Amino acid sequence: MKQVVLSLLMLTLSGCAVVDAYLMTHYDPNEYKTITEIRAEAQQFKNQCDDAVTSQVNSAKLATDTQYFVLYSEHIPKNNNMISASKDLHDIAQGLADQYSKAKVSPAFCKIKFSSIETSADRMQTVIAGRPR
Amino acid sequence: MSVEQNQQALLESYNGSTDPNVQQAAQTANQYTELLKSGQISKDEYIQAMQDIARTNNINKSADNMQVMEYMNTAINGLINLASLA
Repeated sequence: MKQVVLSLLMLTLSGCAVVDAYLMTHYDPNEYKTITEIRAEAQQFKNQCDDAVTSQVNSAKLATDTQYFVLYSEHIPKNNNMISASKDLHDIAQGLADQYSKAKVSPAFCKIKFSSIETSADRMQTVIAGRPR
Repeated sequence: MSVEQNQQALLESYNGSTDPNVQQAAQTANQYTELLKSGQISKDEYIQAMQDIARTNNINKSADNMQVMEYMNTAINGLINLASLA
């Protein structure tokens, strides 16, 4: 029986994929907490977009927090996909902060940006929560 | 390419794909184009919002890859448990 199960395992999955999946990054509560905070902030901040002064401060806060998430994730082994996702998330957040520093920002654009961050953070949070423990 | 031509291309992407990520991206891009046309966002903001669709798409792809790994990890551990019980 043992041989049958192991043969099945080897036949259905390629060797590298098996090793990568078996040794994949485990659940990290700090990583989960950080992405949850980013999501919660984006959710809250998108409702304040009519106030340009507050939103400028909010955009800078979220750019800092997403940068922290990049730095936290980048030295976790076997975490390439999350590192890549965290950099994209930071680019979205930094874009809004930069826009506020150079021009007048429309409330619609502010809402688009915070909504994008919220949606992406939600997706990333789901993946982090589903990691093996 | 004009905004209208761009919208037509998006509509074709939406109708021509069964990938939910592509459909979502096309739908979002169409909403942003409508916001530009109605003057609710500037051209600069529109360009950045469209670039964010590509970034969001990358995040979704990375998340999809990670979820596949998680399913495989669960399956491998299940098979190892089965094998050790046998």
